[in-house]
Amino acid sequence: MSAAAVGEAPRRPRFRLEPYVQFAQKAMAREATYRFDVFTNIASVLVRVYLLRMVWVALYARNTAPSELPLHAIITYSTVALLMGLVMDIDQTRALHDKLHDGSIATDFMKPISVPLYLFADGSGEVLFHAALIVPSLLLALFIVHIDVPPAYVLLAFFVSFVLGYLVGFCVNFIVNMIAFWTLEIHAARLIVTWVTDLFGGEIIPLVIFPAFLQRIAFALPFAAMFSTPLLIYVRVIGPERYLEAIGLQAGWLAVLALIATAMWRAGANRVIVQGG
Amino acid sequence: MNRLRVMAGVYKQYWRINVLTTLEYRENFLVWFAFTFVYHGSAIAALWIVLNRFPSMNGWTFRDMAFLYGLWMLAHALHNTLFSTVGDIPDHIRDGEFDRLLVRPLDTLFQAIATPGQTFPDELVLALITFVAATIYSGARVDAAFVLFVPLIVFGGALIDLAFNLFISTVAFWFVRVDALRWIVVQLEQEFTRYPITIYSRGVRLLLTFVVPFAFMNYFPARYFLHKAHEGAMLPAPVGLLTPAIGIVFVAIAYVFWRIGLNRYSGVGH
Amino acid sequence: MAIIEAAGLRKVFRSVERREGLAGAIGALFSRTYVEKVAVEDVSFTLQPGELVGYIGPNGAGKSTTIKMLTGILVPSGGTLRVAGIVPHANRMANAANIGVVFGQRSQLYWDLPLRESFELLRSIYDVPRDRYLQNMRHFAEILELERFLATPVRQLSLGERMRGDFAAAMLHDPKIVYLDEPTIGLDVVAKEAIREFIGAVNRDRGTTVILTTHDLADVERLSRRIILIDEGTVIYDGSLERLREEYGTHRILVVTLAETPPDEIAVPGTEVDSREMNVVRLRFNRRELTAEALIRRVTERYVISDVSIIEPDIESIVRRIYLEGYHEGAVGAPS
Repeated sequence: MSAAAVGEAPRRPRFRLEPYVQFAQKAMAREATYRFDVFTNIASVLVRVYLLRMVWVALYARNTAPSELPLHAIITYSTVALLMGLVMDIDQTRALHDKLHDGSIATDFMKPISVPLYLFADGSGEVLFHAALIVPSLLLALFIVHIDVPPAYVLLAFFVSFVLGYLVGFCVNFIVNMIAFWTLEIHAARLIVTWVTDLFGGEIIPLVIFPAFLQRIAFALPFAAMFSTPLLIYVRVIGPERYLEAIGLQAGWLAVLALIATAMWRAGANRVIVQGG
Repeated sequence: MNRLRVMAGVYKQYWRINVLTTLEYRENFLVWFAFTFVYHGSAIAALWIVLNRFPSMNGWTFRDMAFLYGLWMLAHALHNTLFSTVGDIPDHIRDGEFDRLLVRPLDTLFQAIATPGQTFPDELVLALITFVAATIYSGARVDAAFVLFVPLIVFGGALIDLAFNLFISTVAFWFVRVDALRWIVVQLEQEFTRYPITIYSRGVRLLLTFVVPFAFMNYFPARYFLHKAHEGAMLPAPVGLLTPAIGIVFVAIAYVFWRIGLNRYSGVGH
Repeated sequence: MAIIEAAGLRKVFRSVERREGLAGAIGALFSRTYVEKVAVEDVSFTLQPGELVGYIGPNGAGKSTTIKMLTGILVPSGGTLRVAGIVPHANRMANAANIGVVFGQRSQLYWDLPLRESFELLRSIYDVPRDRYLQNMRHFAEILELERFLATPVRQLSLGERMRGDFAAAMLHDPKIVYLDEPTIGLDVVAKEAIREFIGAVNRDRGTTVILTTHDLADVERLSRRIILIDEGTVIYDGSLERLREEYGTHRILVVTLAETPPDEIAVPGTEVDSREMNVVRLRFNRRELTAEALIRRVTERYVISDVSIIEPDIESIVRRIYLEGYHEGAVGAPS
């Protein structure tokens, strides 16, 4: 019996979800210990909800309003964008940089786990904790602004698109953090991507307000799949007839970015293992 | 007098180290410069996109807003160049390096300000260029008063920034992680200084004038120099020249809070 | 006149009680309970100028809290303290000019720059006159052999070299007192010895008072005649190393090499077999009850031996015993 076993190729350990659930739970608990962050996060969202409302009110008061986005729609857009930001703006994989920096990535490679999945679980735990903040933030935001609530099928489409947007965001984020495999100084690069995402993702200004040529560029970039698509579905600028196209495009971007991320991970991990960091 | 001489000498040495360290990491420096460029570039682009679609914001055009931004950027960049290391204090408290400042015979805050933090005057140069361009573009009249007051106002604005930087860092004596608080104040400052404060309700205007006086960094001075004194009717136009005084007052308040925090750190009354 | 006078020093910290698990963490968002922790209960000692004293104790005994009070970083909760005639926390900057501090695990040198740049900076911070600075640099360069790497960026130095740089940095302004916190941590034997050499030289040649906290008791054994032992925030021993050895080092070991094949059972009255390996037997005995001479006689009466030697208890095993059992004045202690 044992003689036969010797000849067998080493079997890949069976995939178990449990450790990843544990990582996510740990991440949630970790986030919960920083209570100061929690309160400041909510406060910041509320102040920015107010601020953006005032900006749009001032702009709409003296200028002709765009027909596709009346004032109440653009305020809804901004508010929902800010609430999405609570989870979308989290740098879920920044741990990778620290691990490469202090060399602890080596111990992760020694464990029988998938390191990218571990990072995903850890990041998602953090995100889930912050997602719980959306509810109180939303309730408080309703004291400041009125938000349009679309019918259920729109909400459903929004939700699907939001999840896809989150995953696209995860990939973008992961790709940027993986630059750390080659150079540890990625802080500036990370911030640059943040600003570009904010602007071209449509988090602050809806892309439909952009001048025509910029609009074409913005819609052709993957960042639009993160914020713009779900938000335009929510305010019904993207109607049901275009759901398939819009969500399909998101899925397409997700596939492309996931491929790039996988390739980068292979190259990066190889680099760490072969060259010892 | 002797103490001032020592501080001047130390300050010079710190800048020397700063420049040498920056030169040691030239590639890094370039990346950060790119960041600074994208950061301000995307902010100005956002303003342009919005005002391209909506040409007037409470009577302010993109030309006016460019000046508003340029003035803020200059004060903010000056702060970042001279005082940004105050923001590193929470990290030093966390990793124990802060004790090092306490066993040296110099004022702790002076050391925190002077400590090299790989700052280079690149943002300041960029800000200066932006400000000059914005001034020309906005058509603000450059007279003797402008030349005399703008440097003072910019320095006062930097002091206002320093006051809040110091205030947040001091909070770290109570709460270890203040990153979120800092991020929020930085973001709010950015956003509340971007538009004329007349778009906000009375309460928020008062807040931005007297409590978190970011309006003194750019709105009030810009209103004065762009001759928009008629608007808002909140305060007379020349308050736009009061920025340095406001800066000094707020730094003083922050400094008192800092002393309280230091006392807590060393465990006075425990 | 004493250079350090500490009487009844006490320090109490208040901290937040941590709660377990996710529920606890969420609960902590809304309310927290505080616990008081006495870090230093009662510490008194006096140091004369030029003394070199080892300040030792187990982790969490209150060593670094005491040092922080001495350096003016922390304000004592009780007791009185004078360092070179100054109350450190009340006059932090004046005190700082008198002291030098080396944190073994943290460097004050600028990582990316040649070592010399850090010295130049410290010269201006402590306002050291130029000629004095050059004189000190020459001296340190000589005893620490700094010359070789003065122009090397600190990040390229070995730990031992970096440590030597940190020492010179702390001594540049001729402090009256230096506090050394784990100065030899992580160093190899050669580097350790170089650092000890330097500490001894500085103490001897310049009359600098040295307070040394360390876990490596060989540092203490090599350098200091006096040690202060602290445990649970209280001084439990303050005196010479000899006296401590006298009181606690009552158990010596006689190592006997037997000439012939030894019997299975070896027994010598008044001793215990500590260990045995082939024909080498280690016998533990109490110095106060039995002289070495008498013991050897007893052994030779019973066995044919080819070699003997005596092992004195090292300070490490003595201190280990005190950590575990506590200190008792004039302890004689039966074999445990």
